[in-house]
Amino acid sequence: MTTYGSTSAGTGRQTAFYHPALFYGTDDEYVDGVGTFVRDALEQEHSVLVAVPGPRLPLLQAFVDDNREHVKWVDMRQAGRNPGRILSMLQEFADRGGDARTPVSVVGEPIWVGRTPAEAWEATRHEALINVAFAGRPVSILCPYDTALPEDVQAQAYRTHPVVGDSGAYRASSRYADPHEVCRDCDRPLPEPPDAVVVPFAEQDLAFVRDEADRWAATAGLSHARRTDWLLAVGEAVSNSVRHGGGHGTLRMWCAGDELVAEIRDRGVLADPLAGRRRPDPRGTTGGRGVWIMHQLCDLVEIRAVAPGLVLRLHMGLV
Amino acid sequence: MTMVRRVAASPEREPLGGRHSSVVFSDDRQWAEHLGAFVRGGLEKGEQVQYFADTTAPDRVLRALTDAGIDAAGAVMRGQLAVPVAAQTYLAGSSFDPDAMIGLWYDAVEAACAAGYRGLRVIGEMSWGARGVTGGDRLLEYEVRMHHEVFARLPLTALCFYDRRLMSGEYVSVLASAHLTHQGEPHAEPALRVAPLVDRPGLLMSGSAGYDTRDAVAAAAAVVSGSPARQMELDLAALRHLDAASLAMLADAAAGRPGDMPLKVRQAPSSLRRLLQLFPELDSVVEVLDR
Repeated sequence: MTTYGSTSAGTGRQTAFYHPALFYGTDDEYVDGVGTFVRDALEQEHSVLVAVPGPRLPLLQAFVDDNREHVKWVDMRQAGRNPGRILSMLQEFADRGGDARTPVSVVGEPIWVGRTPAEAWEATRHEALINVAFAGRPVSILCPYDTALPEDVQAQAYRTHPVVGDSGAYRASSRYADPHEVCRDCDRPLPEPPDAVVVPFAEQDLAFVRDEADRWAATAGLSHARRTDWLLAVGEAVSNSVRHGGGHGTLRMWCAGDELVAEIRDRGVLADPLAGRRRPDPRGTTGGRGVWIMHQLCDLVEIRAVAPGLVLRLHMGLV
Repeated sequence: MTMVRRVAASPEREPLGGRHSSVVFSDDRQWAEHLGAFVRGGLEKGEQVQYFADTTAPDRVLRALTDAGIDAAGAVMRGQLAVPVAAQTYLAGSSFDPDAMIGLWYDAVEAACAAGYRGLRVIGEMSWGARGVTGGDRLLEYEVRMHHEVFARLPLTALCFYDRRLMSGEYVSVLASAHLTHQGEPHAEPALRVAPLVDRPGLLMSGSAGYDTRDAVAAAAAVVSGSPARQMELDLAALRHLDAASLAMLADAAAGRPGDMPLKVRQAPSSLRRLLQLFPELDSVVEVLDR
């Protein structure tokens, strides 16, 4: 068994990609594990991003005290409400964190107590894709996991992090799995909605589909501002179906509690699992812009590779 | 970019918007009615008249005029009326080129005025636009550019004939709605309408812009990038939606214009505003005037 130091997750993280999971049970353990990681990174003059649930930010800010202005602090409950947009934020920070020689350290806590199972699966997918996106880069990303989280969620953390530990010691995860295998495992069966509006479409129907999606969301009670996001996201998804998903698809829309869901089903394949997880050039011709927009605008995007095609579920809260 | 030349303008010209009209019809009777009324008006006003035929034989045009009581043969004899064939004139080259075409209008009006006519009046059969002519995909760009680049500057009046029997309904709607005035049968509102602004260089875009309307957006972008006007403006008051790819096309066009004047946008839909929030780097090329 390889160990990675006795008290800090920071040891040995400067020269290569380093992605440990930290399991904590108390605030003291949290501050000890996460705070020490941040403090060490600051001492080594790393660019530091801390993206954790808002209520935890003051604990860490108090710990680093005078150095707090050298850290970018982000409330993950807002920025990472949709787990599918976290990786874009991390990559953007790493890309802009300074010149290529400046090491980057990140605390990213994508799963907290209260996350729905659907959100937790997409956050697990995000954790797996971190390993693909940052492979070979001098970036350290510490991911705290509350031991109050469901056991299956914690079990996945052992599969998505090459290194795991607690405030005591870090070690290689014996259960670490190939990220693509984890992503396939995240393709959990989606529950069938009890009732949905069904709109089949092809290219000539796209304008009608956009108008129909807007009308339906208005009737369902979505605010004007959020309807703009809804329409942009659905519009990008149905366009992708026509462009890349076999020329046609099916849109289903339904209410689920206090949120609206749009499902877009086609015969496409998401060839690049990182598609839409890096900020695109808005005028660029490379792919991923539409998926990136969906991730930015929706509260949750579920992606499923299913025979014979692709299913996207876009979730948007009514409040 | 078209060179701007000066041609003597008649003080009695019709309002600008009414001098470039679309005519949609679906039978020969309607065709003959529009043909006769327009040609008669031009001859009576002392204008030169040209009918650019595509699928109609020139003899048939002249017969229809004669049947309508117009001395077509006499008008041809004295040089006031001509029925050239598009394939032997402006479509004679390797492809349809709006820039070259606009230049030809300056030549034609100049020649008409030099011959003593008070202006030039033309009818164009536009059915070739649906036949896969090379460059035909620039027809919408051409129709929109004509307003500011030709009709605002020349004593020219034109009818663009759209025969429903030869073009799809959607394509007719897109092209006919690019004109500020319309005659003949009504046409459906296209998914995305692109038309010139009446009183200043720019475009009106209405409807919903997405992947399905990319050809119309590409035409709008071509107008933006190619316009000789120093400043271009978009009126989007009736645009319900604009997707990211459409915005990218327009931003590219704006960035490619000479100078550093951003494309001005009035009454932008909420989708465009939201996209600019996501991509603030586009602010330098697309400026929302009434945020």
